[in-house]
This record gives sequence, C-alpha cells and structure tokens, in this order.
Amino acid sequence: MNEQVDQGHLRTPPGRLFRKYLYSIVALAFAALAINTGFDVWFSYREQKQLLAAIQREQAASAAIQIGQFIGQIENQIRWLSRLPPELSTNEDDRLNAIRLLRLSPAIAEIAELDAQGREQVRVSRRVADKVGSKADLSTSSAFRGANESRAYYGPVYFFGDTEPFMTLAIRGAGRAPNVVIAEVNLRFIWDLVAGIRVGNTGKAYVVDRMGVLIAHPDLWPALRRSDLTGHADVRAALDGVGPPSGGLVREDLSGQRVLSTYATVPSLGWLVFVELPLSEAYAPIYASIGRSTFLLVALLAIAVLVSLWLSRRMTVPIQLLTQGARRIGSGDLGLRLAIRTGDELEALGDQFNRMAAHLRDSYATLEGKVIARTSELEKARDQALAEHDAAERARSIAVQANETKSRFLAVVSHELRTPLNGVMGVLQLLDDGSLGEVQRRHLATAAASGETLIALVDAILEYARLEASTEALEARDFRLDQLIEATADLMRPQAFDKGLTFDLASDATVNTSVHGDPVRLNRILLNLIGNAIKFTPRGGISLTAAAEQLDNHVLLHVTVRDTGIGIAPDMHERIFEDFVQADDSIARRFGGTGLGLAIARRLTRLMRGELTVESKPGAGSTFTLDVPLGRAASGIAQGALPPPSRQLNVLLVDDDPVNCEVGEAILNRLGHHPTIARNGASAIELVRDQAFDVILMDLHMPDLDGVEAASRIGRLGLPKMPRIIAVTADISSSARERLAGAGIAKIVSKPILINALREAIEDDPQDEPAAVQLAAGALIDQHFLDDQKELLGAAQVAKLHQLLQQTSERLIDDIAKAAAMGDHKQLARSAHQLGSAAGALGLVSLFERCREIELAAISMSPVECQSAADELAALQQASMRALDDLLAPAGATANT
Amino acid sequence: MRLVATLTALPLDDELTKRSMTEAATTRLGGLIAGLRQRGWVEGVNFRLEVRSSFGGADRLKTAVQELLELRPDVILTGSTGETAAVMAATKTIPIVFATSNDPVGNGFVESLARPGGNVTGFTSSTAEMGGKWLQLIKEAVPDMARVGVLFNPASTPRAGRFFLDSLEQEAVTSGVDVVLAPIGKAADIDGAISRFSEPPKAAMISLVDSFLVVNRQAIVAATAKYRVPMIYPFHYFMDAGGLMSYGPTLEVRSADYVDLILRGTKAGDLPVQSPRKYELLINRTVARSLGLTIPFTLLARADEIRE
Repeated sequence: MNEQVDQGHLRTPPGRLFRKYLYSIVALAFAALAINTGFDVWFSYREQKQLLAAIQREQAASAAIQIGQFIGQIENQIRWLSRLPPELSTNEDDRLNAIRLLRLSPAIAEIAELDAQGREQVRVSRRVADKVGSKADLSTSSAFRGANESRAYYGPVYFFGDTEPFMTLAIRGAGRAPNVVIAEVNLRFIWDLVAGIRVGNTGKAYVVDRMGVLIAHPDLWPALRRSDLTGHADVRAALDGVGPPSGGLVREDLSGQRVLSTYATVPSLGWLVFVELPLSEAYAPIYASIGRSTFLLVALLAIAVLVSLWLSRRMTVPIQLLTQGARRIGSGDLGLRLAIRTGDELEALGDQFNRMAAHLRDSYATLEGKVIARTSELEKARDQALAEHDAAERARSIAVQANETKSRFLAVVSHELRTPLNGVMGVLQLLDDGSLGEVQRRHLATAAASGETLIALVDAILEYARLEASTEALEARDFRLDQLIEATADLMRPQAFDKGLTFDLASDATVNTSVHGDPVRLNRILLNLIGNAIKFTPRGGISLTAAAEQLDNHVLLHVTVRDTGIGIAPDMHERIFEDFVQADDSIARRFGGTGLGLAIARRLTRLMRGELTVESKPGAGSTFTLDVPLGRAASGIAQGALPPPSRQLNVLLVDDDPVNCEVGEAILNRLGHHPTIARNGASAIELVRDQAFDVILMDLHMPDLDGVEAASRIGRLGLPKMPRIIAVTADISSSARERLAGAGIAKIVSKPILINALREAIEDDPQDEPAAVQLAAGALIDQHFLDDQKELLGAAQVAKLHQLLQQTSERLIDDIAKAAAMGDHKQLARSAHQLGSAAGALGLVSLFERCREIELAAISMSPVECQSAADELAALQQASMRALDDLLAPAGATANT
Repeated sequence: MRLVATLTALPLDDELTKRSMTEAATTRLGGLIAGLRQRGWVEGVNFRLEVRSSFGGADRLKTAVQELLELRPDVILTGSTGETAAVMAATKTIPIVFATSNDPVGNGFVESLARPGGNVTGFTSSTAEMGGKWLQLIKEAVPDMARVGVLFNPASTPRAGRFFLDSLEQEAVTSGVDVVLAPIGKAADIDGAISRFSEPPKAAMISLVDSFLVVNRQAIVAATAKYRVPMIYPFHYFMDAGGLMSYGPTLEVRSADYVDLILRGTKAGDLPVQSPRKYELLINRTVARSLGLTIPFTLLARADEIRE
C-alpha cells in the first residue's frame, strides 16, 4: 500500500520530457525562422519599395523626355521652315513648304509665317482655306511677341472646339529681319505617345500642363473634359516646384484606386508627367515575396517540427527506458537489462544502470544467504530458549503445586485446630452469664485469654504461611485506637504481672481517636511486641507508650515497647526480624516460642506500609519502635459496649458443626438478630426457598455440599430478594476469595467468630438504609449496652434502675443548676460526675460523655460557661430520658401483655 | 450577353454595312467590331450586334427605331443626324453614340462638347470652315472653273446646307467663283442636278456632308463621270465608288472606345463629344486624267493618297 503510494507519487507523467524537448526545439526553430523571415521580409519590402519608386521615377523621366522630344521635333521642323532664306522662295513656295511640313507632322494643324513686322505672309491650315499674302497684322499676338523675345515661344494649352487641346508654338528665324513661324499644334497626338508609355501592366502616365489642366491621358476622355487637377495636392505641390518624394507617393487616382504616384517635369515646357502604378500591382512582387517567405517559413517549420519530433524521441526514449528500468528495479525486478543503443552518454548511463542492477542482484543473493543462515541460527536459539523455558515452567509449576500443597495442608490443619478452639472460646464466652463470682470470672477471663493466645499461636503459624505466600490481605475498617491499645495492654498486663514485672501504659491523649485500618493485624503486632518483651524480661518491667500524630490525610501511630530484658546484640538487630530466628539457640531453649513473632510483626508492619525497628544492648533491655500510618475514620465509633444493630435481621447460619451452630446462634442473638440454623447445604437451600432471609452465614467446609456450591445454588433460585451471603471460614487466602467472588460471596468472616467482626460484617450492608429514629436513639443511648444490661440485670431491675435514674438525674440537674448559678465549680464537677455515672449505667452515652467533659472542664469554667453547661446538661438529660422512656416503654408494654 | 444596336441610313445590302473581319478598318461597322474585340468584346460570345436600316423613308425610320428599342439594347449607335434625332426622341435612357454629327450642339443633341449630359455622345465630322477648304481644293484641281455647284439634300444635311455654305460662299468671293446650289430631294434628281454643270462656263461641284449623298454615292459618281463634272467629296467612300477627290476627317473609328466604356458602366453623358483629329486628301489621278485635269504640286504635296 505504501509502496504503491510512493510509486504513484514518484511516477513522472508519461511524455512530459518528450513534450518539453519538442516544444523547446520547435520554439527555438520557430523563433529563428520567424526572426529571419521577418527581417528578410522587412528589408526586402523596403528595398523593393525604394526600387519601385526609382523605377517609376525613371519611367516618369523617360516619359517626360519622350514628350519633350515630341515637341522638340515639331520645334525643329518649324525652325527649319523659319530659317529658309527669304530669297529662296516666293510666297507660293512658302505655302508649299508649309504644306510639306503639315504632311510631315500630323500634329501641326496650322502654320502661319509672319515677316519681321508681324504681317502674315502665308497661312496653311488643315481645316480652313489657305491664305497667301494676306498681310494681316499679327504683331501684337502673344506668339509673335514671345518668339521675338526668346526665339522660341511655347504658348499655353488651349482647347479648340471645347475638347481638343492645342498649343501655339512660335519660332523666330535667323538673319536681320527674321520671319516668325507660328504653328498650332494639336496635342491629341501626344495621347498616342502617352498611351504608349507602359507603366507596369495596369499603370498609367498622364500629362498636366503648367496650369494644372490635364492634357493627355491614356483613357482619352478625362483629357477631353479639360479636367483641372490643381485640386489634387500632389499636382499642386508639383506645380509649386516641390520635388517628388523619393519613395513615391501613395494616393488615390481619378478612378479612386490606390496608386503609387510620382512625376517628372518636361524640360522647357514645364509640363508634368505623372506616372501611377496601382498598389495592387506595385506591391504584388512584395506580397509575392512575403507569400514565398511565409510559405518557406511554414515549410521549414513543418520540417523543424518533424526534426524536433525525431530529436525529442531520440532523446527521451532512452530516458524513458531508464525510468522504466529504475522503476522495475525499484519494484524488485533485478533481472532487467536496459538495451539503449544511442552510442552516447545515455548508452553509458544505461550500461552503468545494468552494472548497478547486476551488483544489486549479487548483493541480494549474498544477503539472502546470510539471512537464511542467520535465521536458522535464530531458530536454533529460539528452540533452545523454548526448551529452557518449558523446563523452567515445569519447575515453577512443580513449585507452585508444592506451595499449594503446603497451603492446603496449613488450611486443613488450621481448620482442624480451630474447630475445637472455636468451641472452647465460644463456651468460655458464654460461661460469663453474670452469675459467676469474682474469682470464677477472673479464671474465666484467664481461660479465655489463654484460648485466645492459643488461637493467636495457631494464627501466627497460619499467618506466617499466608504472609509467606503473600496471600495476606489487610481488612481495613474503622476502630478506636485507644480502645485497641488499652485492650491489648489489658490482655498482656496479667502475663507481666504473673512474671512479677511491672507494666506501664502511657497512652498519649492523641490516641483517643478513631482510625481506619486493620485492627486485627495491628493488635497482633502489638501482642507480638509485648509478648516478646514479657518473654525476654526476667525482671524489671515493660513500658508501652503510644502516640498518634495527625498528618495531612492520615494518622501516624507511634508505639514503643520498652523492656528491661536481656537485650539483643547489635549484630542480631536485623536478624531477629528474620524467620525462625531468636537471639541464640539457648534463648530458644530458655524462653521457648516459635521465633516467628518478630518476623510476622515486621511483615505485617510492612504490609501496612509502616516501620518496625529495634534499639537494644545486651543486658540493657530492648526498645521496639513501631510507626504505622493509619487512615482517618469516616465517623466516630461509639465507645463502650456493642452498638445496637441498625435493624433486626433474619440470619440463616449454615454449619455442620453443632458447637459452632450453638455459639453462632448465641452471638447472633446477642447482636440482636433473628438466627435460623441449617446443619447442611441442602437444608439451607430448602430454608432459603421457603423463608426470606437478609443474611446467610455460610460455613465453607461442609461434608455434603460445599459452602461455595450451596451459595451458587441459592443464587440460581431466582429469589425476589437475594440474601447477602457471608462466608465463615478459616481459609481467607486470595484464591479462596476469588472462588467465593465467583459464587456471589463478597464478605468473609474468619473462624472463630468474633462478635465484633461478625457484627460489622452483617451491618456492612451498602443497601441498608439507616433509620433516622434509631440513629437518634442510638446517638443518645447505647441501645446494645442497654440490651446487655437488660439481659444481664433483668427487665425488672432495669425498670427499677430507670425509675431511680429518673429521680436521681432530676435531682442532680437541679444540683448542677444551683452549682452553676452559685459558681461552685467543685460541686458542679461532682454533680456532673454523679450524673455521668448514673447515665452510664443505663447506656445514656451522650449524656455520660458530656458529663465527663464538663466534670473535667468544670474547674476552669467561667460562670457564664457553667450556666450554659448546666442548661445544656439539663436539656440533654431531658432528651435522653425521653429516649430511654421510648425504648423501655414498648418493652414494658410487651412484658405486661 | 450584352446587346449593341446600330441604326444606319444605308440599305443593309450596301457594302458599308458589311462587317468583314478581314478588312476591319475599311468600314465603320467592321472597325467597331474589330475595336470591341481588342477591348474584350467578342460578337456572339459576350455581346450581340443588331443592325437596323432606316433606308426607305420616314416610316421606315420609325419602324426601325421601334424595332431596336423593343430589343432593349445596352447601347445604340446611330449613323447620322437624322437617325440620332429619331432615336433620341424615342428614348431618354438607352445610351446613344452617334457616329457623325457635324453640329451636335446646334442640333440640340448635347449641352456642350466637353460635357454632353443626357444619354447621348458621339463624334463630330467636318467643321463649318470645311466648305471654304473644299472649294479651295477643287479650285486648285480645276483652276479655270468659274462656278461651283453645291450638291446636297436639304432634308439630311446640317442646317439644310447652311452649315457649310457660309465659309464656302466667303471663299468663292475670294477666289472669284460663283456658287450655284444644287439641292436635291430624291435619287432621281441626281442626274439632272449634275448634268446642269456640264455646260460652260466651266464648273466644278462640291458634295456636302449628307447621308443621302453617301447612300446614293454610286449614282452621283456615275453622273459626274457621265457629264464629265469634277466633284470633291467629304468622305472617302465616294473615292471607292470612283470619285475624283475627297477631303475629310480620317476614318479613325473611336466609337469602339465609347461603346466599351458604356458597356462597362460609364454614363454616355459624361463622355465628351470627340472631334476629328486628322483630315485626309485622296485624289484619283485616273479620274482626273479622264476629265482632262492636271493635278498641281500643291495638291500632290498635300495628298495623303493618290490613286491611279
């Protein structure tokens, strides 16, 4: 595609070079020929014109000479007559001579001979009768006078009989008394002469006298009409003595034709001989010459075009061959040979081209060989790599299988260990029904603690395995940081005391906050650190400090666990965080343990993006420092006992183990939900089909029907309201999570079931819409605490306490009001403390908290603040009591019925 | 094909109406055809010539004119004054070229010789002074003549003969000769008119320019021979018939020029009336000898042609 585009882009239009050459050569030839012809024609035109004018002038001069000769001949004849000596002849002889002269010269119409005095002696005429010796006095005639003055007289042209041009010619004879001979000459005889003058084929000559009158014209009749030509500019100019233009004059003749005109003057007569040649004839040779030149130009141009065609072809064909060759070589046809036989540089270029193509062909052949060789090498290398890869893959899959086997083993073991532990722990929790004595309760607590330690031990192993497999995931939720630390301390304190160690907890006020994180894992880290400290401290004590630093978007928990134990050598500072490492084997023997505690703590810390470090000297104790970033809690978590459920839910508990069923049922009851028990998957499906459940707690490991399978089948029932399924399992590896997600199970609760974990899992329903009334009640009263109290104390006792609180709180509000009014800060603090204690007994958490705050702040309060605090407490007491009334009244009504 | 019409007073069997190609210049009609041929007009090819004769009286003239006009010719040539007047009366549009007219202005044919105007042009013949000239010439041939007889037909000669008679009578006075007029009206009168001059005193005769005389030239020449009367004629036609001498304009046939110009579109009225250029003197010595005349040198010197 690209190649095509490229080729298309590069392709030269066919024949472009050919046309370029052709046009160039033709243009050159044409320009040369045209310029040559143009100049030739132009000069030829000018020369011919000059030549023509010269010829015409010659003709005019010749005609003028002929006319001059004609008159001159007559003049000579008359002179001959005039010079005859008088003695020679009588009058009669004169007449005979004159008759002879008339016969000789037809143009003479009449001859008269006068004596020196001007008397007519003889008159001989062609028309009238001759007169001899008439003695008529003609001395006054202009002819006689003119002849006497200048021997020869040329009279003006006159017209006889209106049409015939005549002229009087007079000659004076020689001697003392010379005769004068006067002749009337008929100028029509000049016409023959004029008609005989050839001017080209159609040209004409004509004669004009000194007055501008036409006296001779080949067409005869214009002269007969005595045409006056003085109106013609050229005649006028000629009469005025202006010479003819050298190149001739172009004008219109008598018949309106355009003619080339020139003239000559007849000597002595002063007549003008005009010679006119029609332009059509005059320029005919010029036009013929131009025509010939044009024809020659066209012919030469045609030849030039043919030659150009031939030349252009000769020049472009090899170039086109080269172009085609280059294109074919470009498209890969290297076997091509160009056959250019011009015998010049183009042939050399073609040869070079062929050599280049041959070289390319050879190079390609070599290159192809190399490519084949290299390809086979690459194939070998690839096969080898593939084989290695397969081996590695096999090894990896074996390792993965081994790991999975280990994971399965651990899961099975933990399940097997946890089931009895679960039972023990559940029972221990249930044992505390409020009827135990103090000692029993403490034993029970110890047993519970031991159980939890045992669980922790199992969990440590399991957890390590998970951490090892990187399958451990944090389960983040909101929790109270101070409670967690205090609970941990409370849990560990007895162990410390048992060993005769002191246990100091120094919690900074900054830890009194709710955070978002994984409390289980954090608890485990702290337990490990404290447990470790207790374990390796033979005497002295343990101190625990905790502080929370509020940073931009999170809380940095800073915990130190300091002991006065055996200490750790510097070279062991890092190694103790490695797996299964204790300071030394003897220590292991002396102190026992798995050696996993610190490793787990370090790994969990890192999982939480925290830092766990140690400072220690042998014999001088150790200080473990934990820095963990925690998120901020979305909302504060109520202090104290279990919060009430947002609403009572129908919960189906599915477990094949009867102990777990019993514990689970009790916990669900405790959480305020309505439990239903199914002992296997099949019965669970039956129950779900018949009844509407909000939540199903599904044990995954069941003999008949796997929990995941059961969940899938329930999902396929197409129930109008699908219950939320929460898995209960000890196996919370990521592979297990994926399996569960496939069956529509999003939530997991680990075994053994811890009340809080279960409560959160059940409560954490995104679809659940919180009830405003319950929230309001919950805000003022810890309903779960109240329920617990009712359960523990009995409804009657609670009612009694309610009544007592009613009375006491009103009295205390009065006291507080009085104290505030009097400004008795101590009394105010004391009364607030008493009110808080009373309110706390029935779970009035809001009132209890506010009382504690006022109790603490009372000393420093201003009277106005005391008064407002008192008012506030009074209002809060009223609201809390009303809420308590509402909560207890329906119960009372139910009890009554 | 253009049409050229000719109206002549001669009968159509007269030699002068022959149009021989070989002897082109000898007759007026032959001259015309030859001249036209020189100018590119070939009879039967691009023009047609129609000849009509008025010979035989006034009725005949009228009929001939009518016939010619019905042909709608491009140009009409007329022989003499009578025919010209008749054709001019019949048409004002068809160009007319007269072969001879001694006094076209006096006849009212043209306004002036240089610019005729109208549809007519032509050629003049002998001028009025020629009367004196004829007398002088015959007197030279017959020096002892005492009277001169003037032969003419008043109906066909210009101004009934007066055109020439003034100069003739003037010359007669100068030379001491009596002028005797011999007008005739018909061919039968010829013999009688001539016979009267055979008796003494010695007489010679002059034939005026008159188409009637040309038509009857044979009879006239025969009568002069019969009665031995010397006579001078104005045309050489009479010489061909055996006359003594003639003096008149040379037969320069120029009518072809004008016919050509008119056929090519020139208006007849724009063409000037041409006068004769040359005059020729013809003498028949045999006839002179038979009459007992001796031709003097002056005449011989002047003669253009002397026939034996």
